[in-house]
Amino acid sequence: MPEQTHGFRIDEQKCEGHLACMRACPTQAIRVKDGKARLLPELCIDCGSCLLACPSGAIQATTRSFAEIDRFKYKVAVPSPVLFGQFPLGVSPAHIVVGLRRLGFDAVWDFTIELSLVNRAVLDYVENWNGPYPLISVSCPVIVRLVQVMYPGMTDQLIRIQTPRELAGRELKRKYSQELGIDPGQIAAIYITPCQAKTISILKPAEGAKSNLDGALGISDVYNDIVALTRSLDKEETENLLGSYVRSAEMLRWATSQGQGRVLGRHRYMSVTGLSNIIQVFDDIEKGKLRNIEYLECDACWGGCIGGNLSVDNIYVTLSKIQRLLSELPESDPTLEADVERRYPNEDFSLKGQVGPRIAGKTNGNLKERVERIKAEETVMSTLPDLNCGLCGAPTCKTFAKDVASGIARKEECVFFSEERLKQLRKTYLHGKKPQTQDDA
Amino acid sequence: MAEELLRKTYHVNGRDFENAGETATEIKQMLKDIGIDSSVIHRTVVIAFEAEMNVVMYASEATLTFVLTDEEIKLEISDQGPGIQDIEMALTEGFSTASDEMREMGFGFGMGLPNIRKNSDDFNIVSKVGVGTTVSAMVRLDSNA
Repeated sequence: MPEQTHGFRIDEQKCEGHLACMRACPTQAIRVKDGKARLLPELCIDCGSCLLACPSGAIQATTRSFAEIDRFKYKVAVPSPVLFGQFPLGVSPAHIVVGLRRLGFDAVWDFTIELSLVNRAVLDYVENWNGPYPLISVSCPVIVRLVQVMYPGMTDQLIRIQTPRELAGRELKRKYSQELGIDPGQIAAIYITPCQAKTISILKPAEGAKSNLDGALGISDVYNDIVALTRSLDKEETENLLGSYVRSAEMLRWATSQGQGRVLGRHRYMSVTGLSNIIQVFDDIEKGKLRNIEYLECDACWGGCIGGNLSVDNIYVTLSKIQRLLSELPESDPTLEADVERRYPNEDFSLKGQVGPRIAGKTNGNLKERVERIKAEETVMSTLPDLNCGLCGAPTCKTFAKDVASGIARKEECVFFSEERLKQLRKTYLHGKKPQTQDDA
Repeated sequence: MAEELLRKTYHVNGRDFENAGETATEIKQMLKDIGIDSSVIHRTVVIAFEAEMNVVMYASEATLTFVLTDEEIKLEISDQGPGIQDIEMALTEGFSTASDEMREMGFGFGMGLPNIRKNSDDFNIVSKVGVGTTVSAMVRLDSNA
């Protein structure tokens, strides 16, 4: 099994073993051993729930630093549409673009066109699809990984169309290498991301191919600098730029849930946000329900990408700002339409590799042995209190039973079976302090 | 002779729309944990779910028996219910005796039994009006249908 790279890391020094991350993880990928959180990488889907839950700030998203990007000759920022809804009123998209340039980017890519192209490719794909419905959008990397880990039978339903950000990376390298006469390898395409999941989708794409992007910076990494820089801009400098970024409403809508609804609305389209809701919907699909839905747009974050954990403002404020910007934008732009018409027939939008199931240790041993393991698990489970207290270091009694049956945990790690365990926990969490009991009083 | 590896029985309550599908979900999770091929899981779960829905819609209660052998998965759903008058008809896609109320709830498209048959490698139905219905379905572990 190849090593899984993930979008964040746990800082052992800072981790105080609070169990919050373990309880928040939707795929039960975290165990807490000896007071420190540990990741089962093959189960992690990069959703970032742990990151938000950690009270010690011990879990950090991996993004790139400016220093790492500096080795490229020409640096292009590809801002997620979310970025434009993050700033105070008065900081327009044009200001933001200038801000990014001042930060050291040579250019800022507007991927309105790639977005339109993808919407069109998705529409064609849905119309010509002969396999089982619903097809599922791949824009959110967490959803792709969720299907790989928890719904392996549905990987064929992940739509095999590249994301707009990936297409943008390809196109901008083509364009600038031609215009500037430099090697595409010397051009950096850096995504300005609302979440760490997109970072990991760049560093290690689920489809196994190489990303067209070279890394990502979190919105929160650039936010303060942009705010500071825009204060010092003179009016003229930005006014010349107005209108040349974010050419249509379609672009900004992508940042919110139901972003593709306008395009796919006449098909049986459904938008679902929030991991727990999505898991419910996927469970229904597995049972053979929802056959009449043709396309599912899924965002792991509530409210869509504007709810990403590297965004700055709260989603409702962002939504309100985006809606305000939308009201000033045309639904479509004639030059944009012309570009789409020109590029659509000549480009390949298909995903470059296969997104297969990620089988996590379940196929160890033959069928009989595997069934025995399930039976052993049930036997262990029948003796557990089913309280899900988490003190064993597993999120639920059921997960613990599974761990015991597969040999990665010992039954004595449950406080109901071992005084020793309780003593050890006191040592770890009370740091030698003696808990006050009635006898002491 | 195939060796039986695992046997489970589940009780399904009729008219319990709220919990409909729980047995199918439980079976799905178990098969996933065992590491059964995903297309086999999918077919088994559809069979279990549709069978469960039929019980919920028409019968008073039923027993679902799940058997895993080294070659196949067998499901048998035996209900105490009204029975089926015309089995041939009940197996026709789109035929349904569901009430308007059921349809409003999103059930009763007449795909239940046809779907069970379509997803099985072997299918059998026995019914006696006024007594109940027993549906048996089998999915081979090595089938790639």
